[in-house]
Amino acid sequence: MRPIVCATRGGEVSRRTQQRAVALAKERGVELVFLCVVDPSFAGPVDKALTATLADELERLGRALLSIAQARAREQGVATRTVVLSGPVWQNVEEYVRQVDADALVIGAPRAGSTPRAFGSGDVHRLAETIQETAGVEVVVVT
Amino acid sequence: MEEFLGTQTIIVLLVVVATLVAIVGRRIRLPYTVSLVLVGLFISIQRPLDVEITPELIMVIFVPPLIFEAAFHLDFRMLRDNLAPIMVLAVPGVILTTLLVGGIVALGAGLPLGATFVFGALIAASDPVAVIALFRALGVPHRLAVAVEGESLFNDGTAIVVFQIALVAALSGVFDPLTGVFDFLRVAVGGAVIGLALGWLVAELITRIDDSLIVTTLTTLLAYGAYLAAEQLHVSGVLAVVMAGLLSGNVGLAGASPTTKIMLFNLWDYLAFLANSLVFLLIGLSVDLPDLWANLGPIVVAVVAVLVSRAVVVYGISWLANLGKGRPHIPFEWRHVLFWGGLRGAISLALALSLPQALAQRETLQSMTFGVVLFSLLAQGTTIQFLLKRLGLIDRPQHRVAREMRLGQLFAARAGLRQLERLHREGLLTDEIWTGLRDSYSRDQKLLVQEMNQLFLEYAELEREMLLQARREALQAERVAMSDALRRGLLSDHVYEELTADVDRRLEAVSMILAAVQDGQSAQEGD
Repeated sequence: MRPIVCATRGGEVSRRTQQRAVALAKERGVELVFLCVVDPSFAGPVDKALTATLADELERLGRALLSIAQARAREQGVATRTVVLSGPVWQNVEEYVRQVDADALVIGAPRAGSTPRAFGSGDVHRLAETIQETAGVEVVVVT
Repeated sequence: MEEFLGTQTIIVLLVVVATLVAIVGRRIRLPYTVSLVLVGLFISIQRPLDVEITPELIMVIFVPPLIFEAAFHLDFRMLRDNLAPIMVLAVPGVILTTLLVGGIVALGAGLPLGATFVFGALIAASDPVAVIALFRALGVPHRLAVAVEGESLFNDGTAIVVFQIALVAALSGVFDPLTGVFDFLRVAVGGAVIGLALGWLVAELITRIDDSLIVTTLTTLLAYGAYLAAEQLHVSGVLAVVMAGLLSGNVGLAGASPTTKIMLFNLWDYLAFLANSLVFLLIGLSVDLPDLWANLGPIVVAVVAVLVSRAVVVYGISWLANLGKGRPHIPFEWRHVLFWGGLRGAISLALALSLPQALAQRETLQSMTFGVVLFSLLAQGTTIQFLLKRLGLIDRPQHRVAREMRLGQLFAARAGLRQLERLHREGLLTDEIWTGLRDSYSRDQKLLVQEMNQLFLEYAELEREMLLQARREALQAERVAMSDALRRGLLSDHVYEELTADVDRRLEAVSMILAAVQDGQSAQEGD
């Protein structure tokens, strides 16, 4: 059974994104994977030890967020797994959905212009289309 | 010996008063520095102290740590992003202020033009300590705070250089524009180069010597050493301190251990607090009200001149900074804050007090300076919060306020329940009363948790912020536990240092993530 992958990071639409992914997994009767990709490069050039700690703390945050999402999904009766990866976000998401041969990818797009972000919602839609084309995976964008 | 003890007693008394003002100030909505000036004024009216405020005292003792601390804390990346507006306000802005204030005061108060240009230059140095403290407390956009603080740092240096040139011209009666420009560049660039050289040296040492005590001593030496070295070479001491602070605070700190960083920040926060407290208290104590009253006419003209020139500079020439590509450097509503937040303080007073006897209208210029400083602190300093509110710069999203409210109520409910539990345990509450009250508190808590969950459902980013804040709390508790273990002899110094360095690094990392999340520049893309 091909799993559904929900890429989440605890942002403003993450709860809706997770709910949508849970509903989809329930409907199709497949496993749900909560994926969180963290990228410590946002901090710019800092010393090596701090970069390693930053990555570690981001991963810790990611694990905590996914653990909360997993507990909520369990309440809905959906079996889930959690995966935390580190590195460039979109590259990792794309590689992961290929690797597990995902049935669908569910991601959230923050409100356009709500806050300055490295990837605005416009980019999320564009990147979603790219993943859909290159990886051949259905991509659901929750706004 | 008696004289020494007398001075020591006065210093101790001043610190006691400053501490009391700081304690009371936490409860009232008045900038700390403004409260200090008011208290100083009150003391000088009730029982004048024999305190003489000299230019050397301000410039050599208080200014280096104040400027160094501000530069040390300034994020170079933020400064670079805002460099255009800062430099426009700090260089052409200061020169224009000097000319405008000089012209208006000469016309309005009938003073000689040479003397009024000296006044124009010394009053061009802004001192936004009161405003910056308020910005931090109210959470205005960080970029605006950097613009105000950056302008102040650089315009202090520029104003002092222009002041020295204007003073020489006023005393000699001759001004050669070419020599003026040359002198300006020599003094400004010379000071900056000395600051950069010493700052680089100390930054290199900081990265090589990982000993928090030696590093803090080095930065103290740098703050005073850069100033003294530059002044000895007749170049700008203030600009030397600015550059030294910027370099050691950004390049040097990048290589320092987290424990050293925390110690440095704590030390410089404390030194700046002490210097600011004493400077503003001394300003209040030194005000001679009868003298100000006698010079009321020129003071009113000076206040109007300073406000008009500030308006011309902020609204008139700051558009120069917007010529570059990209986002507007100074949003229009920020200009109102830059205009009204251009307070005057210690540097202007020190320069006024250093005026030589030979300068015409010296006493009038000093009274005008005191008048303008007092007006800016008491009128502008006390109303800037109202302006920020009107401009919507301190409005916080309702959902954030709601989360904070629920959290506060939850804290209070838990504390109440703990107290009731203690009273019950000690037999001071009957079982029935305890059960009744406990159930009521439990219902409240349950309701609050439900409301919080509802908020998290609608605004999931609040949950992430709360996770990070909880992690920070946990790390701080870990640090306290390690200190406790060290005191009880359970840990050796070496192991303690290694463990606390790791916790400090984690605290720094969590703060970076939290800042990125709150600024919206998320650490993780997508949602």
